[in-house]
Parts: sequence; C-alpha cells; structure tokens
Amino acid sequence: MRRRLGPVFWIAAAWITLVLAAAVLADLLPLPRFDETLAGPPQAGPSGAHPFGTDGLGRDVFSRVVYGARVSLGVGIGAVLLGLLIGAPLGIVAGYRRRAADALIMAVTDIALAFPALVFALAVVAFAGASLRNVLLVLGVLGVPAWTRLIRGATLSVAQREFVLAARALGARERRILWREIVPNVTVPAASYAFIGMAIAVVAEGSLAFLGLSVQAPTPTWGGLINEGRTVMDNAPHVVLAPSIVMFLTVLSFNVVGDRLRALTDVRESGLEPVRQVTAAPLPAATHAIKAGLLQVEDLRTHFVVGRGTVKAVDGVSLTLERGRTLAVVGESGSGKSMLIRSILGLLPGGDVVRGGKVYLEGEDLTAFTPEQMRQVLGPRLATVFQDPMTALNPVRSIGTQVAEPLQVHRGMSRRQALAEAVRLLASVGIPDPERMLRRYPHQLSGGMRQRVTIAMALSCGPDVLFADEPTTALDVTIQDQVLRLVHRLRGERDMAVLLVSHDLSVVAEWADEVIVMYAGKVVERGPTAEVLERARMPYTEALLQAVPKLTDPAHHRLRVITGRPPDLAALPGGCAFHPRCPYAGDRCAVEEPPLVAGSADHLYACWHPRGAEATIIEGAETRGR
Amino acid sequence: MILHRLVRLAVVLLVVTFLSYVLLNLLPGDPTTQILGLSATEEARAQLRQELGLDQPLLIRYAAWLGDLLTGDFGTSYITRLPVAEELAERLPVTLELLVVAQAVALGLAIPVGVAAARRAGRALDQVLTAVSFALLSTPVFVLGVLLILVFAVTWRLLPATGWTPLSVDVGWNLTSVLLPAVTLGCGQLAVYARLLRTDLIATLQEDYITLARARGLSPRRILWRHALRPSAISLVTAVGLNLGALIGGTVIIETLFGLPGVGRLIVDSIFSRDYLTVQGSVVLISVGYVLVNFAVDLVYAAVDPRIRRA
Repeated sequence: MRRRLGPVFWIAAAWITLVLAAAVLADLLPLPRFDETLAGPPQAGPSGAHPFGTDGLGRDVFSRVVYGARVSLGVGIGAVLLGLLIGAPLGIVAGYRRRAADALIMAVTDIALAFPALVFALAVVAFAGASLRNVLLVLGVLGVPAWTRLIRGATLSVAQREFVLAARALGARERRILWREIVPNVTVPAASYAFIGMAIAVVAEGSLAFLGLSVQAPTPTWGGLINEGRTVMDNAPHVVLAPSIVMFLTVLSFNVVGDRLRALTDVRESGLEPVRQVTAAPLPAATHAIKAGLLQVEDLRTHFVVGRGTVKAVDGVSLTLERGRTLAVVGESGSGKSMLIRSILGLLPGGDVVRGGKVYLEGEDLTAFTPEQMRQVLGPRLATVFQDPMTALNPVRSIGTQVAEPLQVHRGMSRRQALAEAVRLLASVGIPDPERMLRRYPHQLSGGMRQRVTIAMALSCGPDVLFADEPTTALDVTIQDQVLRLVHRLRGERDMAVLLVSHDLSVVAEWADEVIVMYAGKVVERGPTAEVLERARMPYTEALLQAVPKLTDPAHHRLRVITGRPPDLAALPGGCAFHPRCPYAGDRCAVEEPPLVAGSADHLYACWHPRGAEATIIEGAETRGR
Repeated sequence: MILHRLVRLAVVLLVVTFLSYVLLNLLPGDPTTQILGLSATEEARAQLRQELGLDQPLLIRYAAWLGDLLTGDFGTSYITRLPVAEELAERLPVTLELLVVAQAVALGLAIPVGVAAARRAGRALDQVLTAVSFALLSTPVFVLGVLLILVFAVTWRLLPATGWTPLSVDVGWNLTSVLLPAVTLGCGQLAVYARLLRTDLIATLQEDYITLARARGLSPRRILWRHALRPSAISLVTAVGLNLGALIGGTVIIETLFGLPGVGRLIVDSIFSRDYLTVQGSVVLISVGYVLVNFAVDLVYAAVDPRIRRA
C-alpha cells in the first residue's frame, strides 16, 4: 500500500497534517497575536522574528496565516462532512433503488448544476451575514449534488456486481446488504473525493473571503489576506506571496492525496506508469542465403520483456512467399500468428520489445529500413487487413476520406482523383453504389461491407503482399465465404501474394497453397496444404485437425478439444513446448527441442515422434474420442 | 428528440428562476431599507412596498416578474433606477470577450500539450506536463491572478494590472486589458483540457484503426492529428461546454481582481447594494447561458462524432 501511494502522497499528507496541527494549536504556539499591530516594523520583509515578514500595520504575517488556516481548514473539512452527510444517503438510495427515487434525485442535481453556485453563495452570505457558520452551511449544501452523483455512480457499479446480486437473491435484508456490501465498496471513492472536495471548499471559501464575504475582520482568512496584500504589492510583495503560497500548497496537497487515493482503485491508469526501459541486445539471425523470391522471412523473433520474464511471441520463424500464392498460418490463440504479421511489418509497440531476424522484400532487407523508408513500403507494397472490421475503420471519418487517403499520401493524387479511384476500388470489392458509399460512415455499414471497405483500402496502392489477419473470423458464415472468394479473386487479378492467418482449418483447406502451423511462437509444421492436412506429422497439427467439428459427427457427439491449456509464453516448458499436452510424448520430448526437419521434399515438421500413416491418426482419434 | 430537449430546457429554466427568486426573497434584508435608509417611517416603507409591488404574495410577484422576463423586461433596479436589461446588455460583451479569449488561450495550448503528452505517454515530457497541469489545477484563480499581476504588471510593467478599454474604443488597448485576465482564467481550464485530451488520446491510440493507419504507411504526425484527435475530443467538447456555461458566473473573481466592468462585477456590486432585481436578472442570464451552451454542445457532438448524428 505504502509503496503504491508513492512519496508525493506522503509529502502532501505531511503538509496537510502540519497545517492542521498549526491551526489547532495556534493559541499554544509562541506567536504574536494575529491582530497585534506593530509587532514589528511595518512592511518588513521576512526575518528571524517574523518568518513571513510583517504587513502594513506591522502585524506578523506568519501568525495571520496560521490563524487564517483555522477558517480555511475548518470550512474545508466542515463543508465536506456536511455534503457527505446529506449527499451520501441520497446517492446510495438513488444508485441502489433506481427507478423513481433515482430519476427524482438525478433531476434535482441536474437543475442544481445549472444553478450558478458561486453567485448563490455570494447572495446568501451577503444577505444572511458573513459568518463562519453561514459560509460553512452554504458551501456544504452546494457540495451535495456532486456528492450525490459520485456516491450514486459508485453504488450503481457495486449494486450490479455478482456478490450483491447474489446477496439480494438469497434474500438478505436490505439494510444488511447496504452496510455489509455497498458501504465498504463506496468508501475508497468517497475518501478520495473527500480530499478533492476539501480542495474545492478551501478555494471557494478563499474566493468568498477575497470578495470580503467570509468571516469578517479582525479574524484573518487566507482569501482576505491575499486581498489585503495586493494593495501593498508594489512595496511589500511578501505580504501577498506568503498566504498565496501556503494556500497553493495546501490545495495542491489535498488534490494530490485525493488523486493518489483514486489511483489506488483505478486499474486503467497503472498501464501508463512509466516502464523501465530494457536495453536487450538485438537477437542475431542465423546465417542464411538471400533468395530471389518476393517475401523472405528468416529466423524472425519478437520478444517482449515483461515483469515475469521474456515473452517469446515469435521465436525463430522462417518462411518464403511467392506472387500468386497464398500461405496460411494456423494455430491456437496466443500461438504468435498475429504477432508474426506485426513483426514482419515492424508494427510493434515501442519500448520493451526486442526484434531479431531478417525480412526481405525482393531481396531488400526491411529490418534495416528507417521508419521513413518503411512508410514508403507499408501500403504501396505490403498491405494489411485485420480481424474485426468493427474496429478497423476510424469511426469519425467518412469512407471516402479513408479510402482516398493512402492514394493521396502514397500516389500523390489530388483529392478529386483519389475519390474517383476510391469509387473504382469500392466497386472492385463488390460494394453496390460506391459513389454514395463515399459519404457514409463506418457505423452505417454492416460487418461484411466494412470488411470489403478495409480490403479496398488495403489494395488501394496495389500491394505485392496482402497480410490478412483472420479477415473473416468476426463475420457471419455466409459473408465469410464471399470475402475469402473476393480475396482469392483479387490475388489472381493483381498477381499478389497473400499471407492468411486463420484458426479455421476449413478456410485454410479451401484457399491456401501452403500451410505453416505455429505453436508457442515457433513453426512446428510446414508444407503444401493438402499434404499437411492429410498427412499431419506433428501431434499438435493432428490435434488441431481433430478439434474441427464435422458434419458427419453424431448430433450429441462430444466436441473434441485439445487437452491442456495453451502454454505460458513467459515460462515455456523445456524441450518440445507441446510435450505436456502431447499424448505421444516420450522422455526425450521434455529434454530436447526437436528441430524442424524435412519429412518429404517440402513437408517439414518438428517432432521426435511424428505421426506416420493415416491409420494411426484415425486410431488416435478414436482412443481420444472415448 | 429536439422537442424533448427543448421541453427539458424550459423546465430547468423555470425551476432555476423560481428557486432563485424565492431564495433571494426569503433571505433576510429589506429593499426598502436600502432605498429609504434606516430612519424612514413605517408608513413611507409601506407606501414604497405598495409602489414596488412588494406587498403582493410571493407567487404572484414571481409570475409577474416571469411574464415581464419573457418580453425581455428584466425590471427596473430599485437602487439605480435603470432598467436591469440595459445594464446587463452593457456588461455582457465584456464578460463574453473575457470568456472567449480565455477559452482560446486554454484550447490553443491544451491541444498541443495534450497531444505531445499522449504521444510520449509515461516518458519525461509527459510526466513534466502532467505535474505542471496538476499544479495549475490546484492554483485558486485569485492566487494565480495576483501572481501574474505581480510579475507582469508590477515587476515588469508590461501589462496594465486593472482597467478595461472597450473593443470599440481601441483594439490594441482592448487586447492588453483582456490578456492578463484571460490568461489567468484560461490557465485553470488549460490544465483540465490537457489532462482530458491526453487520457482519451492514449485510449484512442490503442485502437485497431490506428494500428492499421500505421500499416498503411501514414506518418505519426498525420495519424495523431487527422486520425486520433477527433475521436478523442468528446470529453474535451463536454468540458469546454460545461466550463463556458459555468464560467459566466465564475468570472466574478477575475472581474473584481482586474477591475473589469462585466456581469460578474455587476453581480457583486448589486449583491452588496441589495439590488435584488439586478441579481435576479444576472442569475437568469447565467442559467440561460449555461443551459443554452449545453444545448449547443450536443450539436457540436454530432459534428465531432458522426455516430451521434443518427440519434
């Protein structure tokens, strides 16, 4: 707890304690009275006897600031307690009961927010009399709507959680639920806001005092001291600076304490805490020859340095891809498929990522490119389509703007030309009435239409390679086939290569020429599609194939799953990463990692106990099926 | 939808005017004392009350006042004997100019600062900017104003500490007189806006469509300003709206500190002189302003985010 609050929190808390102690013990401190004139020479600067100097009447400024803290902190704490006492019950009732009570209370706070609070406070204090009690009452009451809203929000979020719903369903008494379940959960946000509220109240009291509408002279208040001090600003700036700085530090401390308390419960913010930059050595690539092909990936590695260790998301992947071919990458979620694409394209989050290996595009080493050079390649030569078309398009930009943009940036087209080209592109991906489409926004389109748009955008600059990361997973089954057919047709028309990531083996079987099977960031099997799917050698591939439900299965047939859990990438088992889940694993599998070896001419696998003939696969399936 | 909002707007205004009328009338203090002085006889007071309509029941007085209000008649001040509407019309441009310049200062700085901080989230620049905006947020407006006066008006003598030159008299002097108050007012907003924008931008930059924009070879600058900024601006627009509305009443301190003849100063003066009708009129003006600005904000939402247009 202490460590997470941070040193700033404790400094702020110490300052508040100090000011509070000084205010409470003011009468016991060896200070001149706050209203004792000529305690020192008038308008004298800070000295040993008068640490904050003296004002125009020779009064000790330090003493006046200390006594002023009584009013400021008194009003701050008092107003918060008052607001809490009224606002918290209202907020809990509104958040817990909902319906009529909620509607009424929220309508009232809506109106209260439209009410000019400071003006109201001014009027009340001016007409009813400027006394500590009136200031406190007004500021306390004015804080009620904010408290009600806050407590209502906190209650609402708790009241819907399982443990409260469960308690309600079990017939627990309402009062018991409120005290046992809701109140404790509302405490932290309330404590946090209490400090923010004190900051607000202290500033509000200061504002009133500055206008002469708080506790009247001779009692000093911070706002009043600042107002007085500015008349002698020319000759004695310390008179205005001393209360200003003390007030600033106090308000700042209240805000810091409130903010750190809020951060305790806020998980979102912690992701942005500065991460320690790890300077890991770049991973060297294995020796290899640069081939003449379109895309060549050699020994690609992408490692994330996290608290628990190194996550090897992509670990030594090599592949080649030619024009007019489709290469499928398959594997479970978390096997490194998507990260492989991002790694090839260099689209990795900054900071704690280490990339190694080489990527060649027609013999050019992309890993040696500068970001500027890389931007010339991304779009015109390498294009990308993501899984979820719902999140792939910018929600606030029109389709026309989005499709035309790469054309303007990469091909130097004017907006008019680019829009005309965009119409052609949209038509080519089978979008009806493309002119009208230009003016529409993503939310007006169906998922299938959006995915066609993202494909049109990807193809706009005539890329050599299309990376499609599960392009149909988020779509209806009927649309899936249309989209894949479209990708296949465009591949032929444009003489592109396609790298298709999928976990759907029926998709792979239909559209891919070659398959790579990934497990825990590594290639475990690779070969022509038909060969790999029909004669899987690696037990993991076999398991993937068996996990596909078949139409010929009986209606209540148990769905075959791969036993065990996907591996923890930060703590991989030794030897073959699949061995803990593998039914054929032997002693060697746990010790020594199998290399990727060629079974037949172009069918490679990494396994010590490869599956041989089809017969054994079926046999294995039956054993597992029972 | 629009009709629904207009009805809601009318209800809020009705309640606010009623509450403010009743509350101000329930507060201790007698306008006749202010007008006739403490030594006036009870008959003279009674006669004056009758003259001013103060002998009528509260509800009837409210109804009559509200009726006049709808025709643009805010009543005539008991104290200055001037129509309240005229007084407000004279003061309003000063306050509006102050607000507009303050918002321009705040937004003009907050957007680049928020973008810079989000782009380097967690790094040194971001931490410095976050700390500075936190400090600004904790500085009461009168403390900041006093400090700025001390530096720019007293020590360096660059700008006037107080006073106001209307725009119609001299544009240059008008700008020098609005600059310091507007910066004072804008600094607090700057901190709020920059923090909001930073948080929302960081969230937006994690979106798929931003990664895909990178995959299309677009420059970081283009992605930040053309792709990420607008989807991240909703909270900012809300805050600007709320502030513009709330600040119409919040310029009281600034106008007092810098001696500006705006609505805020008018409110303080009329509160001190128990000028009920002027206070009432100002409260109505502020509430209407707040409600209308929020109404306008909803329209701006639609411009910022097309998904809202459908609703």
